[in-house]
Amino acid sequence: MRFSELPQHVVQLGQRLGASDAACLGTHETRKIVRFANNEVTVTETLDSNALAILISRERRVLISGTEDIERARVDQSLKRMIETSETVAPSESYTPLPHGPFEYREIRGAYDHGVASMNSELVEYAKSAIDHALRSGAKRVAGILTCLTRGLRLVTSGDIDASWRSTTIQISVRAFVSEEATGHDVSISRSAAGFKPELAGERAAEMARLAVDPVEIETGKYDVVLGPSMFANLANEAVGSASAFSVDAGLSFFRGMLGHRVAPPWFSLIDDGVIPEGVASRPFDDEGAPTGETIVINNGVLRSYLHNSSTARKFGAKTTGNAGWIAPMPWNAVVSPGRLSEEELLEAMGDGLYLANNWYTRFQDRAKGDFSTICRDGAFIVKGGKIDKPVKGLRVSDNMLRILGAIQEASRERKWIRWWEVSIPTLAPSVWVKDVGITRSTR
Amino acid sequence: MEDLASFVVDLALRRGCAYAEARVQSDFGDTAMVKNGNLEVVAYVRMLGLGVRVIKSGALGFASTNRLDRRSLSRLVESAVSMASASSSTLKKPVSLAPMKTENREWTVNEKKKTRSVSHEERLGVLQDVEKALSEPEVGVRLPGRMLVLTNWETDKIYLNSEGSRVRSLVPRISFYYMLTALEGSRGTAQRFNQFGGSGGWELVESWSLPESVSEEARILGRVLREAKAPPRGEIDVVLGSEVVGIVCHESCGHPSEADRILGREAAQAGESFMKPEMIGTRLGSDAVTIVDDPTLQGSYGHYLYDDEGVRASRRELMKSGVLNTFLHNRETAAELGVESNGAARAMGYSLEPIIRMANTFMLPGDHSLDELLQDVSNGVYIKSFMEWNIDDRRFNQRYVGLEAYAIKRGKLGEMVKNPTIELTTTGLFNSVDAVSKNLAFSAAMCGKGDPEQDAPVWTGGPEIRLRKVRLGGLTR
Repeated sequence: MRFSELPQHVVQLGQRLGASDAACLGTHETRKIVRFANNEVTVTETLDSNALAILISRERRVLISGTEDIERARVDQSLKRMIETSETVAPSESYTPLPHGPFEYREIRGAYDHGVASMNSELVEYAKSAIDHALRSGAKRVAGILTCLTRGLRLVTSGDIDASWRSTTIQISVRAFVSEEATGHDVSISRSAAGFKPELAGERAAEMARLAVDPVEIETGKYDVVLGPSMFANLANEAVGSASAFSVDAGLSFFRGMLGHRVAPPWFSLIDDGVIPEGVASRPFDDEGAPTGETIVINNGVLRSYLHNSSTARKFGAKTTGNAGWIAPMPWNAVVSPGRLSEEELLEAMGDGLYLANNWYTRFQDRAKGDFSTICRDGAFIVKGGKIDKPVKGLRVSDNMLRILGAIQEASRERKWIRWWEVSIPTLAPSVWVKDVGITRSTR
Repeated sequence: MEDLASFVVDLALRRGCAYAEARVQSDFGDTAMVKNGNLEVVAYVRMLGLGVRVIKSGALGFASTNRLDRRSLSRLVESAVSMASASSSTLKKPVSLAPMKTENREWTVNEKKKTRSVSHEERLGVLQDVEKALSEPEVGVRLPGRMLVLTNWETDKIYLNSEGSRVRSLVPRISFYYMLTALEGSRGTAQRFNQFGGSGGWELVESWSLPESVSEEARILGRVLREAKAPPRGEIDVVLGSEVVGIVCHESCGHPSEADRILGREAAQAGESFMKPEMIGTRLGSDAVTIVDDPTLQGSYGHYLYDDEGVRASRRELMKSGVLNTFLHNRETAAELGVESNGAARAMGYSLEPIIRMANTFMLPGDHSLDELLQDVSNGVYIKSFMEWNIDDRRFNQRYVGLEAYAIKRGKLGEMVKNPTIELTTTGLFNSVDAVSKNLAFSAAMCGKGDPEQDAPVWTGGPEIRLRKVRLGGLTR
């Protein structure tokens, strides 16, 4: 039996064995990776996998299995074990029948590019191009990762769903060093070869690193701050992740109890978009087969919706938003509304403060409250009179997510797609000016 | 499966590779999750596949698949070889691997009570017992958010390389993870995430006394909400509990000691290191500070006897009496720095290349009791547990925010203090240590590194330690 036939086989067998609901998501993935550091390629990788995710429910008992051991006899054996186990576990209060299709799915243009799917050694040339352009733009050392992903999905469920989807993604994350403390970072992300610009990512990373030479230290305190697209994308990931109804229910969301409340200025919106063509996580159906779409999480500053699958929707008295995950609803792409100003005008509007380009290591003291800190990297600068002044080092944003959202003043009209190690949910983000942000640094 | 690994290594050599290794890895995992008293899901994970790593034309290539027929494996080798060849023109010098002793070994971790023989009823009973122990009358505080996750998994590996090494291993691990959110009227919320973990069988779960331990943490959350006051300002002495010392050792000594970071290979993601090859022998902390990483600890979460390059594992003394002593190496970084590999290469699945990882990183204990550490502190803070932490990507500026913490007044523990924050440089922190206790304890954690990210099971640990004249950091939120 071919791998692509297994999802249907699994669902049929599951039903024959007594499952009231069955779903199987088959994923074939080829991931080609070029990692580079110190201006040279450090390793190339080709990761090929076929994986099945199986959901079985029986008398309100829910079992899930993920397997990359795809020999049919062992898949069957695993399914039988799930059915047997269902007799020994307690019913789940969150059990909800799978949505019943068939549904009409939105077309997402340009999600698959045969040119990207067939790339091999030219990926090394792309990485070299990023390195060369960064070096020509003043970097001394360049590191990064280029990933080229081809993915095919087939979802079959007992809810009369049989849906397929294929997509490609090519992305690069480049970090340029002028010195150990003077670094810059940039990305290029695309579904197609035509939209992929590794050389630009290299140039922009180097330009930022050049600006960051000879950083000074500043005092702990509250500062007005412009967060660059990469840094705001990281915080937007936290926001859209906190909108997952599973997080809300588990006490892990600072949005708990906030539906209908103002959480940001009236012009600000945050949308989870599962069908935006440029969003590399877009796909027409979720893991339950429900159509994906745009879910407005924050609309004109007011928290309007959580992200739901069928079971959280039932629990919250809502409708699924097409964000299933079988266990937890998951965001697709985060889209932040643009502001009215250019990047330059945004700095001018702020006047004095800081510009923070990028960050990593965001950690929470209390996710229910939203208290967190995160470390600035790859370009942090004093802004004086609306202009970038000296670079700074050793900074940490130490604040609260709800306070930051509420203190947003304005944003740039230019936005950028961000996805890298610290931004796992692809995010279209502007630069954002926030008032009175807590900034700390080491005391010794 | 060994024949497939052998087939792949031979094929790579025939394709002109200077070196080849193959790892067939099977992982089987079983998870149960209870959220707010409801069994959300029982989930199984099974992975089986092969990863091959080659050096071709001086360049490193890795490829993996779970299609284990010979035709697919031939394509796999071709892919690793062709991509490596294409990248060789970027290299200033060819990749080389430090010599190692050829090994032919099999090792396993024994389970006194096999987890697979434990019924689902018994496993779920553990979660139900914890859940019962968390009721409001039991713990004195409302816990609107409770997530309990019990996971066991078993990793079976066969490793072969073209130098004649062959290592087979079977390691069962088990872990219990919980997240609690306490709510106390107008005082708001407090959270605790914590993990138990080890290598072995069900006997580990039986030894953890989970209902007692987790309910005690819940009671503490209630006390934090009701009792904790602002911590003192100014220069004070700070005593850190084992849990905090463990994360300090992991983040501020273990990570910067990883030679791949030091040589820049992780620069784009997890970053580099303030440590440099020429700093071996440099003082970074006080005499009281000796930090080791030891994969050989029986029963530990990060336990292994051979790494994923077939190198025998051993205890590494990273910092010895405050002086930087050695780095964590794989064969590539060892060759680069002219030393032997100390067996730190680990891969967390068949589809992932082996990279340098910590195993069990901890500070060695001294001979004081906790009371002796507290005795001559006139004004200070004891930070027993933490929640928020982070560190910069050179591992030099870190922050640890206390959860269970107490004021120390005239040598005695006093009232609870709220979120005392250590925000120090690495050398500032290690040089402040003037005494360590004899009470060695460990915590389990999953350590993330690499791209694609690999989460490695580790222990972090240490005794209680005393820091002199520290100014607490942070801002009032």
